[in-house]
Amino acid sequence: MTETTISGRIWVLLDEKGHLIENIDTDQIFHNAHLHITDVNKMGEYTLGNLEGWKDFPQKSRPGDILVVGRNFGAGSSRQQAVDCFRSLQIGAILSPSFGAIYFRNAVNSGFPVLRGLQIPQLVDEGKLETGDEICLHFLSGEAQIINKNLSFPIIPMSDVQSEIYRAGGLYNYGKTWTQD
Amino acid sequence: MGQTFSEKVLGAKARKTVKAGEIVTVSPDYILTHDNSAAIIQEFRKLEIERVKCAEKIVIVLDHVVPASSEKYAQNHKDIREFVREQGIPHFFDVHHGICHQVFAENGFALPGKLILGADSHTTSYGALGAFSAGIGRSEAASVWATDGIWLKVPETIRIEMNGKFPAMVSAKDVILKIIGDEGADRANYKAVEFAGPAAKNLSLASRLVMANMAAEMGAKNGYFAPDEKTISWLEGRTQGEFDVVVSDSDADYGAILNYDLATIEPQVACPHTVDNVRPVSEVQGTPFHQAIIGTCTNGRIEDLRVAAKIMKGKKIHPGVRVLVIPASRREYIQALQEGELETLVSAGCLVLNPGCGPCLGAHQGILAPGEVAISTANRNFRGRMGSRDSAIYLASPATVAASALEGKIADPRKYE
Repeated sequence: MTETTISGRIWVLLDEKGHLIENIDTDQIFHNAHLHITDVNKMGEYTLGNLEGWKDFPQKSRPGDILVVGRNFGAGSSRQQAVDCFRSLQIGAILSPSFGAIYFRNAVNSGFPVLRGLQIPQLVDEGKLETGDEICLHFLSGEAQIINKNLSFPIIPMSDVQSEIYRAGGLYNYGKTWTQD
Repeated sequence: MGQTFSEKVLGAKARKTVKAGEIVTVSPDYILTHDNSAAIIQEFRKLEIERVKCAEKIVIVLDHVVPASSEKYAQNHKDIREFVREQGIPHFFDVHHGICHQVFAENGFALPGKLILGADSHTTSYGALGAFSAGIGRSEAASVWATDGIWLKVPETIRIEMNGKFPAMVSAKDVILKIIGDEGADRANYKAVEFAGPAAKNLSLASRLVMANMAAEMGAKNGYFAPDEKTISWLEGRTQGEFDVVVSDSDADYGAILNYDLATIEPQVACPHTVDNVRPVSEVQGTPFHQAIIGTCTNGRIEDLRVAAKIMKGKKIHPGVRVLVIPASRREYIQALQEGELETLVSAGCLVLNPGCGPCLGAHQGILAPGEVAISTANRNFRGRMGSRDSAIYLASPATVAASALEGKIADPRKYE
């Protein structure tokens, strides 16, 4: 899975008032009650299990779906389960204006596409980016196309290190270059 | 243009001059892991490498669920002990030593100018001693064990200039909560936070640890205090390691400079369910709660226990609440035993738990039921962190929590001066 252009159906994580949910922390993504689980394949069913209104996400999502979330997604603990649970569900990518720093690193190192788009809140507010839209993301050129609306907006392209790890299939393969020193 | 502390440390490790924003591949001085070592060991096994590359750089402290509360946690601890023996890891601290961040610092691993990584978000703590220390994830930790290398982005630096002296019963916890409340939980994402100014020098090492620990709650990659004579004397007797003091140049390029006058700060409380939802105690006093916690890696040191004991001396906690006290480490525990703080707190009705993370992350020892409210000296109040997702957590200083414990509702500690 090393395509640098992917397409998928999107889910926009809104609260009950229709606003993009900000500061979704790692306890809401993957609750600490499940931290003893070490098998990635078993993590998916707990994804967003502590986020009001989104507890049924694992049942609703399909492989290849793309998440659109509010700023500072993944704030908090360093738990990697909060990334692995999305890999477990085979989510294609997560788009946000910003991510928690360790969360971002964990995702990059897992070869899981996390991408920043500063216009996301505005597009959501204006109703241009909605759950069910089909989106196409170009990781390297930094273009996002909303296919069914014939709209596009910029995302921050993957950095060199992010795209190299992504294309290597994760940190382990990328890191093999260090062990040969 | 001069260089920041972070640019200097990462540049020295990368053997070149670097600026904020660059990616470097570096080798750390130490790598800390805790109970999550069990999961990291599984990741390490997948690499099909027999031996860790530098066993002497690995520090493992069991603290999250100690002693083990279930068969699963017991098995995890057992797996870690066996791995430590198999790999010859010299720096292993079993369940009786305390919370990793306190144990790591008091055993002299946190030294000025060192590059420290930890598979825990509050690894930012060691900036209190002038180290570059940052939290990383689980598979990164396995990768560092295997390769002794890691990629890092050189962070831009926010400098926080502190002036003035604290009013009575106001402490480092209040100023860092105030800063986080003003600036937001993501203000320092991917950035370094340098605490500076005349007031920074007045802070004890314990207080610096509070602020560097909580830099994580602004999203910071690392926190930092320039080492001074207090740092050096604190390290005497705690380390045999050699170190070089590294400080930012006076003309370093800061992304932002913020100013705080400590004299104007009143006790602060972070309200549910984010650490940046901060209000002065005057706006939340009278709020009822069920459980108070004094301790954790943020505020479980002797200076914290002293202020709590001073407030509770000769008094009883409110009969409607329960109060848990958790010294940060065995050393702090022994000191509080010898000085008498623990006798004072137990006599007041507090329950003293063994040094460890306790209920802070909701794994054991004081879980909250639906509808319950806690006030804690910890660093995080995310929804559901301490148990039921329908519980709530307020964060405050040891003085505010102690005063609140006596009254059974959130209280202003300044009247107990």
